[in-house]
Amino acid sequence: MRLVLSKRENSSRWMSLLSPLIAVALTIASGAVLFAAMGLDPAKALAIYFLSPISDTWALQELAVKATPLVLISVGLSLCYLSNNWNIGAEGQFVMGAIFGGGIAIATHGVANGPWVFPAMMLAGMIGGAALAMIPAMLKTRLSVNEILTSLMLVYIAELLLDWLVRGPWRDPKGFNFPQSVMFEAEAQTIRLTSDGRINIGTLIALVVVVLAAFLLSRMLKGFEIRLVGEAPRAARFAGFSQSRLTWTVFAISGALAGLAGIIEVGGTMGQLQPTISPGYGFTAIIVAFLGRLNPIGCLIAGVFLAITFIGGENAQIALRLPLDVTRVFQGLLLFFVLACDAFLIYRVRLVRSAPQERSA
Amino acid sequence: MNINRRQVLGGATALAGAATLGQPVFAQSNPLQVGFIYVGPVGDFGWSTMHDLGRKRLEEVMGAAVKTTVVESVAANDMERVATQLGRQGHRLIFTTSFSFFQPTMRVAPTLPNVFFESATGTQTAANVSLYNARFYEGRYVQGVIAARKSKSKTIGYIAAFPVPEVIHAINTVMRGAWSVDPAMKIRVIWVNAWFNPGREADAARALIDQGCDVICQHTDSPAPLQLANERGVFGFGQASDMTRFAPKAHLTSSVNSWGDYYVERAKAVIAGTWKPGDVWGGLNSGMFKLAPFTNMTPEEASEAQRIADAISTGRLHPFDGPIVRADGSTVVPAGGRLTDDQIRAQNYFYRGIEVALPS
Amino acid sequence: MTMFEAILLTIITASTPLLIAAIGQLVVERSGVLNLGMEGMMIMGAACGFAAAILSGNSYIGVLAAIAAGMGMSMIFAVLTLGLAANQVASGLALSIFGLGLSGVIGAPFVGARRDTMARLDLPVLSDLPVIGKALFGQDPFVYASFALVIGVWWFLTRTKPGLILRACGESHASAHALGYPVLKIRLFAILFGGACAGLAGAYLSLVYTPFWSPGMTAGRGWIALAIVVFASWLPWRAMAGAYLFGGITILQLHAQGAGVKIPSQAMAALPYLVTIIALVIIMSRRGGQQSAPASLGVPFVPDR
Repeated sequence: MRLVLSKRENSSRWMSLLSPLIAVALTIASGAVLFAAMGLDPAKALAIYFLSPISDTWALQELAVKATPLVLISVGLSLCYLSNNWNIGAEGQFVMGAIFGGGIAIATHGVANGPWVFPAMMLAGMIGGAALAMIPAMLKTRLSVNEILTSLMLVYIAELLLDWLVRGPWRDPKGFNFPQSVMFEAEAQTIRLTSDGRINIGTLIALVVVVLAAFLLSRMLKGFEIRLVGEAPRAARFAGFSQSRLTWTVFAISGALAGLAGIIEVGGTMGQLQPTISPGYGFTAIIVAFLGRLNPIGCLIAGVFLAITFIGGENAQIALRLPLDVTRVFQGLLLFFVLACDAFLIYRVRLVRSAPQERSA
Repeated sequence: MNINRRQVLGGATALAGAATLGQPVFAQSNPLQVGFIYVGPVGDFGWSTMHDLGRKRLEEVMGAAVKTTVVESVAANDMERVATQLGRQGHRLIFTTSFSFFQPTMRVAPTLPNVFFESATGTQTAANVSLYNARFYEGRYVQGVIAARKSKSKTIGYIAAFPVPEVIHAINTVMRGAWSVDPAMKIRVIWVNAWFNPGREADAARALIDQGCDVICQHTDSPAPLQLANERGVFGFGQASDMTRFAPKAHLTSSVNSWGDYYVERAKAVIAGTWKPGDVWGGLNSGMFKLAPFTNMTPEEASEAQRIADAISTGRLHPFDGPIVRADGSTVVPAGGRLTDDQIRAQNYFYRGIEVALPS
Repeated sequence: MTMFEAILLTIITASTPLLIAAIGQLVVERSGVLNLGMEGMMIMGAACGFAAAILSGNSYIGVLAAIAAGMGMSMIFAVLTLGLAANQVASGLALSIFGLGLSGVIGAPFVGARRDTMARLDLPVLSDLPVIGKALFGQDPFVYASFALVIGVWWFLTRTKPGLILRACGESHASAHALGYPVLKIRLFAILFGGACAGLAGAYLSLVYTPFWSPGMTAGRGWIALAIVVFASWLPWRAMAGAYLFGGITILQLHAQGAGVKIPSQAMAALPYLVTIIALVIIMSRRGGQQSAPASLGVPFVPDR
């Protein structure tokens, strides 16, 4: 007996958007079994894991704060991956955005400035992220140096640059030489949307980016080009699309979005530069992009889902006194389930009772 | 916005007494919930593990009067949410055990006026935020003395995490101790850019030993450097916990963090309604850290080390007495003077005789 | 032992876990599969290897357990990506999260336990060679295993028919399938081999390099191994060069710091990454990008029938 996959004939777009939700429902069922096996009350555990992060307006705002960088970065990465550009250095572009944007906040510190400061920081953040992403793009197009290596190595270099800045030239002169920059002035902090929580303008920006990217991919020539280059590079060449120009474009966009996420995060949750400013958002966003099937709206759903599992894991540590590692194991299992369910929706899985006959073709 | 530690302390203490402490919590019916937020995993066998041992000590001493909760490996980005969540779940006392949590703590504290925060290092207190840390440098002075006695090559190897004042003044103090025995002592320093990265710590130890260092000091958390010292037949000191068993032939002493008594004291204060913001910087005499039993030392060496430790503990010997001269030759404090606590905490220069680069 | 020999010895020690993990990943990628779960498989190897060694008191049982753990982890990946044609990148990253967590659970009882490092195995005669003798032939068994792996994989990929078929699967799974080769089965073996190597590399960390267990002790080495495969342009000998280059710069910058070179430590720490990029740029500009990634890398294969 063995598993045989065959592609479903009528995989509508509607279905592909809905499938992550169905997958979530299926994983919740399997989660209940797991928690029961761990000796916990499954209903309570599941409620803490999946409902406490969306239980009230404060929690929802926190969820938005956590999901925003993941969504912003993953949308940009989707454009890269769709066109076969393996940018895995979003973490570094995130950090670079924080450095560029944070530089403006530090330079304008202590002087009364207008409301232009934060927009300028966002712009600088996008430039910073894009600038770092340009390096792998340039090396790829000019010298065909593989972008997986360059983008990954630049992550570490960007992190060390930030480390040096915060311990050296950008250290808060009144901060007892601790490794931190000055606290950003109010006008250099990410604009908040409410007075009772931390949700900020970054969430709105992320939603706009999702809509724009969805429009770009489905309705515009550029979107067609991105897909074509990814799926059929030779056809794209015949169609007169320049692969290298596209590489530049998608790296620039994804770098800019990661950089934007970086400055929004630093201005929103930290309020200053510290040696470490990301709990791995740039890497987590890679999962988000693929869980979302490289579709902007899919990224939004996957980003929120992953944020729920992160916060749910935190809450499980607090309310269930589970160790972090156990919450991580559960998160990993959840992701396995989601990925497996995904396959069931794309393919029809059948058990075939027969001797292997692979050679039949 | 730039208020220094002193000003805040004065004001805040007065404030806190008046404002925040209305109702003492009664132990039996309603245990005090105490939250612990760690920067690393509980099992890091270093900084976070020792805070967790302190937490266990708290549970042991207080029994049913407290209930503790741990959140591990928290990033500074997530700290505000974790603290708020703990507060919403009824935690009245929260220990935030990293400097990277300090600014988030200062931001979240005003929104949770009924919760008392204890930040392990920071630059100022607030109505419901205390600071605590240990004067680990006192142990470093003793390490320097021992190292100078043990070293044949007259060169100490120092595996340092990051160039922050805590590490810089520790390096200075090690050399102060070493020079008190032999002014010809030298030091080599390698920054590994991590508090915890066993492989790189071991590589750094190998490099230092290859360069002729025969006593290894470490300012990183893993037992890797000490283990390596054991393998290569040189000496070393343990960090955070008693690491004797990792290096039976190399271990001299360890600086053992011990937060339990402080945690008990603060929890009792909350229960009694007498919690006040403070800025505690405990030395050898506070019990916040101890020196593990001396090993691989002659009785004379051990008794000398004990004598020095006692002298520091009782205040007869102060590692930051003048004269203190920077590497560039300028004098910070002349003979007869002494660095203030704030000057020690902010130290970002090496003493004359220590040839090591610092980011400027 | 001279300083030069000592440095050489340290470089080899530091590079070996990277090399072992990279050579496994190289085979996986050559078969057309991208498994980003290296970090998770490696750390499971470290945890299970250490736990088994403590429980059994025998390092070799630890090594076997680590290999089994790495293979077990890679089996999960294989079920998802081959059995269900799930996305390889996402499955690999999920495997990393899962492995980091599970290794913590498995390793928790062993935090603070210690073992002696595994004994070196001096090869007679060879280890007496001047200069390179001690560095190359006075090492622990893992180092010899890494040499054997490089030679073995090179021989397998270039000189054997199964190796050729494996490469064919990586270049064009459709053609390989059309020629009647069992693409999925071949990829399964490649993935399991990659998992075994990652587990072995993990065991090296927790049994030889720094003989104790602590969570997260791989510290990103799985990612570096991934980069080394790319650096190597999927060629075994160049993977060896890449691992030693990266390990070498890492060790040399530590030595430079110890010697008192006045450069900020962050710049020093950035050197291995920077040098790797520059070296690859030089190689590519000299040779005009001869070998590129396997054409089917990362593309799931679902046989049509």
